[in-house]
Amino acid sequence: MKIIIVGAGEVGFHIASRLSNENQDVVLIDKDPQKIKRITENLDVQTLLGSGTSPRILKDSGIEDADMLVAATDSDEANLISCLLARNLNKYIVKIARVRNKEYLEEKNLFGQEHLGIDRIINPQSVMVKTIINLMKVPGASEVIDFSGGRVKLIGFAITKNSPLIGRQLLSFKELEGKLLVGAIARGDQVIIPTGSDKIKLDDLVYIVARNNELNHIFELFNIGEEGFRRVIIVGAGQTGAVLSDELDKTKISAKIIEKDTEICSHLAAKLQRVIVINGDGTDRSLLQEENIKDADFMVAITGDDESNVLISLLAKKLGVKRTITRVGKLSYVPILSDIGIDSVISPRLSAVRAILQYIRHGKIITVAPLMGEQAEAIEAEALETSDIVNVPLSKLKFPKGAIVGAIVRGEEIIIPRGDSIIIPKDRLIIFALDQIVPKLEKLLTVKLEYF
Amino acid sequence: MHLNVIARFISILIFFLGLSMVFPLLVSISYGDSSTSAFLLSILITSGLGIISYIGIRKNENTYLNHRDGIAIVTIGWVIAGLFGALPFLFSGTIPNFTNAYFESVSGFTTTGASILNHIEDMPKGILLWRSQTQWLGGMGIIVLSIAILPFLGVGGMQLYKAEIPSPIVDKLKPRISETAKTLWKVYLLITVVQIILLFVGGMSFFDCVCHAFCTMPTGGFSTRSASIAYFNTPYFDAIFIVFMLLAGINFSLHYKLFKGDIRIFGKDPECRIFLVLVALLILAVTVDVFGPIYHSLGSAFRYAAFQVTSIITTTGFVTADYEQWPALSRLILLICMFLGAMAGSTGGGIKTMRIILLIKHGYQEIFRIIHPHAVTTVKLGGKPIPKDILSSIWGFFILYIGLFIVATLIMTCLGLDMISAISSVAASIGNIGPGLGIVGPVKNYLSIPVVGKWVLIFCMLLGRLEIYTVIILLVPEYWRK
Repeated sequence: MKIIIVGAGEVGFHIASRLSNENQDVVLIDKDPQKIKRITENLDVQTLLGSGTSPRILKDSGIEDADMLVAATDSDEANLISCLLARNLNKYIVKIARVRNKEYLEEKNLFGQEHLGIDRIINPQSVMVKTIINLMKVPGASEVIDFSGGRVKLIGFAITKNSPLIGRQLLSFKELEGKLLVGAIARGDQVIIPTGSDKIKLDDLVYIVARNNELNHIFELFNIGEEGFRRVIIVGAGQTGAVLSDELDKTKISAKIIEKDTEICSHLAAKLQRVIVINGDGTDRSLLQEENIKDADFMVAITGDDESNVLISLLAKKLGVKRTITRVGKLSYVPILSDIGIDSVISPRLSAVRAILQYIRHGKIITVAPLMGEQAEAIEAEALETSDIVNVPLSKLKFPKGAIVGAIVRGEEIIIPRGDSIIIPKDRLIIFALDQIVPKLEKLLTVKLEYF
Repeated sequence: MHLNVIARFISILIFFLGLSMVFPLLVSISYGDSSTSAFLLSILITSGLGIISYIGIRKNENTYLNHRDGIAIVTIGWVIAGLFGALPFLFSGTIPNFTNAYFESVSGFTTTGASILNHIEDMPKGILLWRSQTQWLGGMGIIVLSIAILPFLGVGGMQLYKAEIPSPIVDKLKPRISETAKTLWKVYLLITVVQIILLFVGGMSFFDCVCHAFCTMPTGGFSTRSASIAYFNTPYFDAIFIVFMLLAGINFSLHYKLFKGDIRIFGKDPECRIFLVLVALLILAVTVDVFGPIYHSLGSAFRYAAFQVTSIITTTGFVTADYEQWPALSRLILLICMFLGAMAGSTGGGIKTMRIILLIKHGYQEIFRIIHPHAVTTVKLGGKPIPKDILSSIWGFFILYIGLFIVATLIMTCLGLDMISAISSVAASIGNIGPGLGIVGPVKNYLSIPVVGKWVLIFCMLLGRLEIYTVIILLVPEYWRK
């Protein structure tokens, strides 16, 4: 598949890196020679220096025979123009655009076939707000990802000092067989797809799959308890902050939003009913104490500045908040943050990468979620009749090393698999896999190899 | 530095190099010549050592190659390829002396075409094919070939590609580096096959066709005859060689675009336009110069001038005339051609047209800036601005090229060579041409150069083929500092 990506910022870079690792033909276009240089030195993709809104450059990139265009620059307008030009140059190309401006998004029929003809709009803000709310619902977790419309949840949580799980072999969870499954363990900056003999250690980040309605039971068992949350403090009322406070305004949760800019504050205050708007600096210790940070369940640091967000979260932790959620744009920061005590990290760019990858995957793969930076993925896919994986007990199945089936969704039924579970056609599978296994897995899921 | 990654890669390289000796082995068997056992032994040693060291060296989890590793692989790879390539010469007894055998082998791989053999016609057929084959492999690049056939390189491939491809500006033809390398090799193979057919049609024996085509496309210049192309002596063959030497001197990505249907690409590309005009002007000058005193008909003056200018400027080094006898102006033009070289991204050597154009443009820009001190200017080629760091890297290249040329010439003169021979032997080696002037002239060879001189020239050939930086970086202490 040939994919043209416009914009070599963080989003463009990470999508390009993923796709080129999966042996797709990627062409990247950017105006900035520095960015182009960085890409040529680091990735096996073709690069073009120039504007993605220039028809000549798009032609040079070979758009006529490309399968997909991903417009991922920081400018909504540039993204839309690129898609429009692409449509003009190649009728059949699939177009994905990153659009953030709420006003555009509200124009429902703008993106349809009659007007812009964009196949998929990616709005990182809304994905991020969804993630934040999901995280709040599962307070012990540092990552929560929905599968099968939320009926199956993938939860990542850190193993703390008093966790009963430390030192236990995965094999020893006999009583939980069929209820939950450990799909991946992030240890240091490595991700392990575990086998039965692996042990859980202190400071691991463990990813489990479980049914949504059994979460409470599991939390109790793991001592990460779900207490529900009542008090939230948000720092930063940018676009994400505004949408988030809007959402929280509709619930009974007591929320406060802190923002430096008086203008924005008064604008927000006029709109919100229940959420309290506070004008001040989120890095101000006395302000946070004044707003009773130590009794808050959550502190969400979502200002536009990565470094401030990290510091605000650390400060809030010190002042006694139970959990923090931190917005970090630079993906290179993500793997080190858990080391300094930041529990949940959300990233608009990672959200955008996630959403775009989900769309790009061909065949019967439905949802993809990159874990821990980018080293592993959770994939939701449908088992095809022609695939080699159906009608064989899992223990007999030759699944590639570094991949594991986390759950089987069969109509209304959700099966957390055991060795004797059998996949039948039309099942939806949730699979954990290391980055480099994904292409192999894709092949396994889509075609049956008849000749060896 | 990831030493075991480098060593593993080079192991694979020499394994395949050994395998490629199967072709001369088969030729040797079918002609029943004396080199069969030499090739058997060479294959065994080369591929055997490749396998043993590949298995012996522990696999590193991290196979990522940085640019330093890329440079080391390319330079060390070439030095070692030359070493194993010399084995058939040594074992068959055709070149019993190690220095001479290594000289011949490196001269082959670097597509220089400087030979130390006296009676080429007496050599076993297998050895003759192997000489030509080293040139053909070295032309598009042994590393580029491995990028094309080894699937696992990924980004690391780009580092290797950049270190081996002879061009200041590296562009990819395809999104993936392995596809780019494959495409280049396909174009290269295709043109070679066309040339073989055309030579065969002209009545050359099939063996000679293959050997000569293998030495034309890489701008190599080895021949199966002591008299080189002069042996065949028909206008048809001269014309075929002129056309294919020019094709070999043109950027291969232009050939690819030509095959894709862009038939006017040679005229559209600014470097190609200038290159072709330059060749035409030089041919004209030499024709006028040799018409009268040397050749009495305008036709033959043009024929020999065209052949010799094309052969030297594309850095091939085939010979149809003893240009030693030509007037001083013609000889000087040929000497200048040795420095000019062919187009960037071709298989030719020398400084390369693109660098010359950019150096002149940059020089003019400096003059312009003295007249208009506040003018904002950029050096452009074909309407596209050239980044400053590429310009400064070209200046660096130029200065290193000339500097190394001067140092090597000094050494050659110290060894007792006369001035013209010293200058031309170094120019012909660093520019990967082959024949020079004086004692290394078109009808002579490099056998008479002293041993130390041969090693200096071997070093020059490697410098020229890998475009100075790749080799010289390894000699800088800063490179080895952790």
